Amino acid sequence: MNAPWTVKHRPKMLADIAGNKPTIQQILDWLELWEKGPPKKRALLLHGPPGTGKTVSVEAAANERDLDLVEINASDKRNRDALEKTVGLATRQSDLFGRSRLVLIDEVDGINLSEDRGAVDTIVRLVEDTQVPVILTANDPWDPKIGPIRNATTMIEYRRLGLRDAVPYLKKICQKEGVEVEEQALRLIVDRNQGDMRSIMNDLQVLTSGRKKLTYEETTWLGFRDRRASIFDALKTVFTSPTCLQARRATDMANVDLDMFFEWVYENAPRQLNDPRDLSHAMSALAQADLYHVRIDRTRAWELLPYALEMETAGVAMSKEFTKPAWIPMKFPERIQLLSRTRKKRAIEAELGRSIGARCHISSRRAIHHYLPYIKYILEKNATEGDRIVKWLGLSEDAAEYLGVTPTPAEESTVVEKVEKKRAKTRTTAAKPRQKKKTV
Amino acid sequence: MESAMWSEKYRPVILAEMRNQVDVVNRLKRFAETKAMPHCLFAGPPGSGKTTAALCLAHDLFGERFMDAFLELNASDARGIDVIRTTVKEFARIATISEVPFKILVLDEADNMTADAQHALRRTMERYTDTCRFVLSCNYSGRIIEPIQSRCAIFRFVPLEAEDVSAYVKIIAEKEHVHLTEPGLRALTSASEGDLRKAINTLQGASSLGKPIDEKVVYEVVGKAKPDDVQELLDVAAKGDFLKAREKLRSMLVQQGLSGKDILKQIHSEILRMPIPEKSKIELIDAAGEIDYRLIQGADEEVQLSSLLAHLALASSQKRSS
Repeated sequence: MNAPWTVKHRPKMLADIAGNKPTIQQILDWLELWEKGPPKKRALLLHGPPGTGKTVSVEAAANERDLDLVEINASDKRNRDALEKTVGLATRQSDLFGRSRLVLIDEVDGINLSEDRGAVDTIVRLVEDTQVPVILTANDPWDPKIGPIRNATTMIEYRRLGLRDAVPYLKKICQKEGVEVEEQALRLIVDRNQGDMRSIMNDLQVLTSGRKKLTYEETTWLGFRDRRASIFDALKTVFTSPTCLQARRATDMANVDLDMFFEWVYENAPRQLNDPRDLSHAMSALAQADLYHVRIDRTRAWELLPYALEMETAGVAMSKEFTKPAWIPMKFPERIQLLSRTRKKRAIEAELGRSIGARCHISSRRAIHHYLPYIKYILEKNATEGDRIVKWLGLSEDAAEYLGVTPTPAEESTVVEKVEKKRAKTRTTAAKPRQKKKTV
Repeated sequence: MESAMWSEKYRPVILAEMRNQVDVVNRLKRFAETKAMPHCLFAGPPGSGKTTAALCLAHDLFGERFMDAFLELNASDARGIDVIRTTVKEFARIATISEVPFKILVLDEADNMTADAQHALRRTMERYTDTCRFVLSCNYSGRIIEPIQSRCAIFRFVPLEAEDVSAYVKIIAEKEHVHLTEPGLRALTSASEGDLRKAINTLQGASSLGKPIDEKVVYEVVGKAKPDDVQELLDVAAKGDFLKAREKLRSMLVQQGLSGKDILKQIHSEILRMPIPEKSKIELIDAAGEIDYRLIQGADEEVQLSSLLAHLALASSQKRSS
């Protein structure tokens, strides 16, 4: 159930892929050519920014045309021997059941010149001799090291997804997931991720987790624009980095407000670290980071910032020792949501505190603890007595309503009470503390 | 309009009506007689009569119209240097033309003022000594900076004796025609822990049911007013459900508006009795002490307290596995 949406909603058919329709048609046409024997250029190089649908279109094409897909990507070893064994074999023989085959060499620009020694030459040779269609992908086709590959292939460009393609697609996903997301919110998410569908889906999943509705305002909390990686990637770095140095990079990755970054880590640490030993360490590191943030606020000593950031990234990363591996989705910081949800309630309570405080010679903060619970109790049990107290306090309609009292019609109160009430009101709304009248 | 809260309605008006804090009251009476007084610092727990004593003193000094020469500020509402520099100064610098040559400014909960604001206050106290006397009240005198302490006569208020609480409550019950049973009175007295405001509020809450007040009624009101949240919080954390514990903590802080310091104080008082390894208790106490200090420095209440809960969850899991 908790699978990443990028996996769960990965398109299986070409028609399901958002955007780049003409490009996809080009691939289909080229595969069509293979029916009559190898065309002049025996390989395609699909290039474009991440998350535009390169890999997924190859997978969907193979699925639709019932091709046996052999896939090599950056996580596989790709030196000469390894490529010969896998791709070499695949490009010469057909499938055991006589099915046609399609070879995908993903992320060719990720070839490492020293570790994957001879890879580029090998690929060029294999592409020239191949008996089956080969498709390669790259983010940056102009990388000098893959120059020879460029010359041996037909290049096809994938473009960033625009709003027109992405938004209707996302709407469908939201419908399937049973969440209602404002169109404006979807547009914002697409914009922020510069049309990168993978990170759009990640953000969307994080933002909607555990809720039925997502508004534009809630989405703006994500707060990053010139984004380099999503907050999702940054958090993943914090919770999976094996070294301090690597974890420390998380704050540079996501261009989120630093306070917000802390909230994300703080929210997700107990979800990501499922062993009490690890969690205890991580929470201590976060508490320590919080302390540094406070010291910075107080003294304006910004040179302390690295300590805070290192504790909340590396400090948390190094806490992970006994946690059992699991894929747990990241959650939006609930605390921020709660604070905004309860803002009105807190404003009313503060007003109640001030009203009580003005009458009972006590600060509003203490009035809330020393008086409010009793007043609530009395209101609940004895309406007449409760009404008398509410009148005496001179509460605003909002506050009275909050306490569950229907405001008394004006004609019932005497003129004196009305004046009293008005005065109490101005007293409670005044920003400056006023002289308190003693009631005897 | 007559006061609707009994704690206000029955607040003593003159010093002679105060029945407890005898030593303090006697010294204050002398100030009223001689019409002379120094700056004062009232230190003591909530509901022990600090504000009442200040109001009564002002009344005895200035008579019915004491409001003209009297200003009460709640330092925790109106804290900060600007208030000290403006409101307080405005009030303090203008002399009165009356028999008593000074005004009284009461700063309640002065221990909630920042050190900077206290230093600003100290200068103001010095400069306007001729025209204004300050009465600072606080729970802990230790939180008041030394220079201010040294400029004040210090009065220590103690929690009310059980008989004093009983006597007050009984009088109010009679005047309000409330039937307070003997066990009800005993329960009320013991639950109040020497806090008269709490005793009177509990009495008023209990009376709203309109039936004789017995032990049961008293405990119902007390329970409603202060649910056992901290115990529940600790139980959840001890079971290892950290996320739920944090949620609970969050609701206590945000929705109920409890202060992190109060929650910490209650957690701390439970540590020694917790079913966790003895060695872990020492670690927890150390962590609590550190967190207390951090909260004073202004650290995030939820972040700090939840790190304590994570410690507790760990300690409990160790107990379970051993």
